[in-house]
Amino acid sequence: MGRYALKRLVQGAITVWFIATATFFAMHMVPGDPLASDKAVSEKIRANLEAKYGLDKPLLTQYGIYMGNLARGDFGISFTQENRRVNDIIREHFPVSATLGILAVVFAALGGILWGALTALNRNRMPDIVIMLLVILGISVPSFVFAALGQLTLVNINNLLGFSLLPVAGWGTVAHMLIPSLVLGLGTMAYLTRLMRSSMLEIMNSDFVRTARSKGVPAPRIFTHHQLRNAILPVITVLGPSIAVITTGGFVVEIVFAIPGLGRYFVQAVQQSDYTVIMGTTVFYGAFLVLMVIIVDLVYGLIDPRVRLE
Amino acid sequence: MSETTFSARDFESVHTDEAVQVIARPSLSYWQDAWVRLKDNRRALFSLYLILALLAFTIAGPWVWTVDPQTQDLDQISRAPGPAAQATIVAPYVPWDGSTLAPPGTGLRLAEPATTQAVRLLWEPVEGARGYRVYRNLFPIGEERAFGLPLFDILDPLDTSFEDRLDLKPRNYFYSVVELNPDGEPTGAHQTIEVDVERVTTLEEAAAAGLVPEGAELREGDSVELAFHPLGTDYLGRDMLARLMSGARVSLFIGIFAPILYILFGVVYGATAGFFGRWVDQVLMRFSDFVVALPFLLFMILIRVASGVQPGESGIAPLVIALVLLGWPATARLVRGQILQIREEGYVSASRLLGAKTGYLVLRHMIPNTMGVILVTLTFAVPSAIFTEAFLSFIGMGVAPPEASWGSMCNEGIKTMLTYPHELIFPALFISITVLAFNMLGDGLRDALDARMRGTE
Amino acid sequence: MSALLTVEDLRVEFDTYGGVVQAVRGVSFNVEAGRTLAIVGESGCGKSVTVQSMMGLIPMPPGRITSGSAKLDGAEILGRTRIDGTSIRGAQIGMIFQDPMTSLNPTMTIGAQIAETLQVHRGHSRQQALARAVELLAMTRIPEAEKRAAQYPFEFSGGMLQRSMIAMAIACEPAILIADEPSTALDVTIQAQILDLLRDLQRENGMSIILITHDLGVVARMADQVAVMYAGQIVENGAVDEVFYESAHPYTLGLNDAMPTNNPDAEQVLTPIDGSPPDLFDPPKGCAYGARCPHTMRICGPNNPGAFDLSPSHYARCWLHHPDAERRVDGITYREAAS
Repeated sequence: MGRYALKRLVQGAITVWFIATATFFAMHMVPGDPLASDKAVSEKIRANLEAKYGLDKPLLTQYGIYMGNLARGDFGISFTQENRRVNDIIREHFPVSATLGILAVVFAALGGILWGALTALNRNRMPDIVIMLLVILGISVPSFVFAALGQLTLVNINNLLGFSLLPVAGWGTVAHMLIPSLVLGLGTMAYLTRLMRSSMLEIMNSDFVRTARSKGVPAPRIFTHHQLRNAILPVITVLGPSIAVITTGGFVVEIVFAIPGLGRYFVQAVQQSDYTVIMGTTVFYGAFLVLMVIIVDLVYGLIDPRVRLE
Repeated sequence: MSETTFSARDFESVHTDEAVQVIARPSLSYWQDAWVRLKDNRRALFSLYLILALLAFTIAGPWVWTVDPQTQDLDQISRAPGPAAQATIVAPYVPWDGSTLAPPGTGLRLAEPATTQAVRLLWEPVEGARGYRVYRNLFPIGEERAFGLPLFDILDPLDTSFEDRLDLKPRNYFYSVVELNPDGEPTGAHQTIEVDVERVTTLEEAAAAGLVPEGAELREGDSVELAFHPLGTDYLGRDMLARLMSGARVSLFIGIFAPILYILFGVVYGATAGFFGRWVDQVLMRFSDFVVALPFLLFMILIRVASGVQPGESGIAPLVIALVLLGWPATARLVRGQILQIREEGYVSASRLLGAKTGYLVLRHMIPNTMGVILVTLTFAVPSAIFTEAFLSFIGMGVAPPEASWGSMCNEGIKTMLTYPHELIFPALFISITVLAFNMLGDGLRDALDARMRGTE
Repeated sequence: MSALLTVEDLRVEFDTYGGVVQAVRGVSFNVEAGRTLAIVGESGCGKSVTVQSMMGLIPMPPGRITSGSAKLDGAEILGRTRIDGTSIRGAQIGMIFQDPMTSLNPTMTIGAQIAETLQVHRGHSRQQALARAVELLAMTRIPEAEKRAAQYPFEFSGGMLQRSMIAMAIACEPAILIADEPSTALDVTIQAQILDLLRDLQRENGMSIILITHDLGVVARMADQVAVMYAGQIVENGAVDEVFYESAHPYTLGLNDAMPTNNPDAEQVLTPIDGSPPDLFDPPKGCAYGARCPHTMRICGPNNPGAFDLSPSHYARCWLHHPDAERRVDGITYREAAS
């Protein structure tokens, strides 16, 4: 297990290097000199940037400097805000996005497993039909519509009650987090429910469940010890990619609910052509997602002995 | 066994040499068989028709509904869906000084019937008031005294008339007149009136908008039919149906064309890796692992920025390019796996033994046997591409106005969601129906084509 | 010897996409204490469904037991196995399956899976049960039982897994062990070891075995009593010697002719049985084997034969044994006391 973890970490580091390189060269393909664009960059920033990246030097030298900085965990300075370090921007806004994302992932995973198991156990009966209809809805409706509807519903509920049950926008308290993370997790939850249902149906017909029944194990114990534990495995394998979908999907929710997360900041940065923030955020997100996938894989190893022991 | 008696005849041997082997049903080719299965799947067949209908809507729609999606109908901004509206012809607007003969009555009242041309209010002077503030609201004034939109402050206690011409819609408004104290602050004492505004137009306007039927002699008091918008209009008065059609072209173009491109690329890439194996496979698949690890949406945006699209510009080509650049690895991996598997199959070895060349093997055995998987992948790739376009357009990183796509229409619609929900609901509905149809078709195709699924429901 | 398990007129149906399948159509048999009953037949003849329905293991729906009874020591178990089946399954009747590779939970250690039976039925603590699991593994001749108990199924070979399955099935010392094609999925050498193990265990603790197989070699080696099944019915039932050496049903003969023998001197020509088993969606009115039987008579089409006794322990469902039928068919043994 230790060796496996180490191997995954090394692979992850190489992947992050690739992401950083791709980002660097993508941004240097921007036509024209970004600094000379009509977005007048102040002299002070220009001087700062030149000193930091040697913008007049050859591309490969710039790449070297950039990678060196990254290796030290330095993402550079904002293009549009004097002397604001990208690191500070990330430090300020990322925890918000991460909290939102993690809540959404937890919500999606727990919901997906619960609903998936419930539908499989009640196959072709009322709970199954109702939940699967909702799942089809969850898969087909874009996330921003959920966000908008979530907010609309909240406004209406608050109006109806005459007081603010949950805040409609903003960030800060647990109350602020509930609806946005729920909305953010919905699409993934629908997807995971479907996955869990088919996995559970397969397990329910598997030989080893029949064996457990032939041993006289009571149904609740068969569910917890034999069905659930094995049916969850496919769900866990897709959790890594799901985290990526959810964290980047958070942009929309952050915009709709006016949450001061990194996603919203990233969108603003793109609108302002703040190239260093765009690059820094991309590389940071990339690294974060790689790390998440590794963590999910390791957790998978803990549950599935076949991975752990090989 | 009951004691029936049998005759000796019953125990004569009847055995003949008739063939006991019966062929149960005619044999069908793989694709024939798949088609039969698909036709039996009602949901899949329904979604197939739905997709055909959507394509007809997109391609043939603009021939039937010839309204220009860019034209603004300023008379009918944010109009809800429904039958064509009527407007009464009135005299051209004449400025009002508030001195019209007051109709009988007291309190806040209308000086003349309210029309979309003007709403003219009158009330009695209030003693001690420094002036009045006029509000307009869409809803009745509740306990919390939200009066709505403040229109004007009148700082003369004797000036007790107000004319509202601000963006009037044919609907009900609640006008409130609140007294101001000497400091110019509202006191809270207020009068409210509910006003039903009638849609009117002048002869000149009607003629300019082409609403006057040829040869018709219209007079004041007659009514004309306004331009028909079956699905309403958006916040700029553009016809929703026409915009949905033009948006469908963009959304479906991106949603179908980009997946075809990247799946083609993925097939070639994966087949190369799988067929050559060894170090070629190693290198190619390692690279595809890297591409998979790129944060998808961020790189979609990054590629857009890198291709020089300025914020606020529409970037359909960069969107397609980005989808192709980032979308192919899943297909490549899948096709590689299939090829690796097929390469080891007996029939391929047999074919090779009979002297088949590489190209023949690939064309005759490998591609046809992976077609099913590729087709299913394509069907599932369409909804995800449509979602990506919608998502990016929604955050303003995809298709930008004036060009329409379903995503950008949602982006515009969400701003007026509370008052005119149809501007969000229609494009969102089209996205959802399309995504749903392709997902269901994909499920059906997978069940029909996947040999391993056979035998299970 | 009195019967330990008596099954009477068991009928099982399945609702499927294409209609109702009558998988088991009135099966009766007895299992005596300490003896082995082999149920033989080709794939799809209903042998597995027979025992699984008895154990309450067929999914209901789509499955359905339409009639019949199964009495274990005089107590009815049919139907009960679903409600409080836990007291019978695993405790009084143990069961092992065809494919040991898929029949064990991949995410649980072998030891824990054996211990589970004891925890459920005997109320053992986890430690107690695990210790007993190691003993059971040793009993089924798994070397280094202690180490093996802590391993997962994917670390075991097929033969080892089947031994663990046996250990699991006999953990609570059941009166009957049902072995559903226990050796089919294994190598020939391993097959023999598993069968030997079963026989040794039977000798040691005196349990009965119901052995389901399509391999007549296995039957000859293991069984005391044989029931030959065809199209959901038992067509011949008798002591092992009777069924083998005094075969009374053309199907049994057909099976024998289709089997290679171990005798290297015998110049044997293998004869397949032409055709395929009847459609159980709509079983034939008469004898189900009629369409494939070389000795079909006019009566076989419209009339399903009853059981004709050849000896107190041997019967066959075949019109050839009717007193009016001519007794000339080669290979068929007729009842001697007919004259």
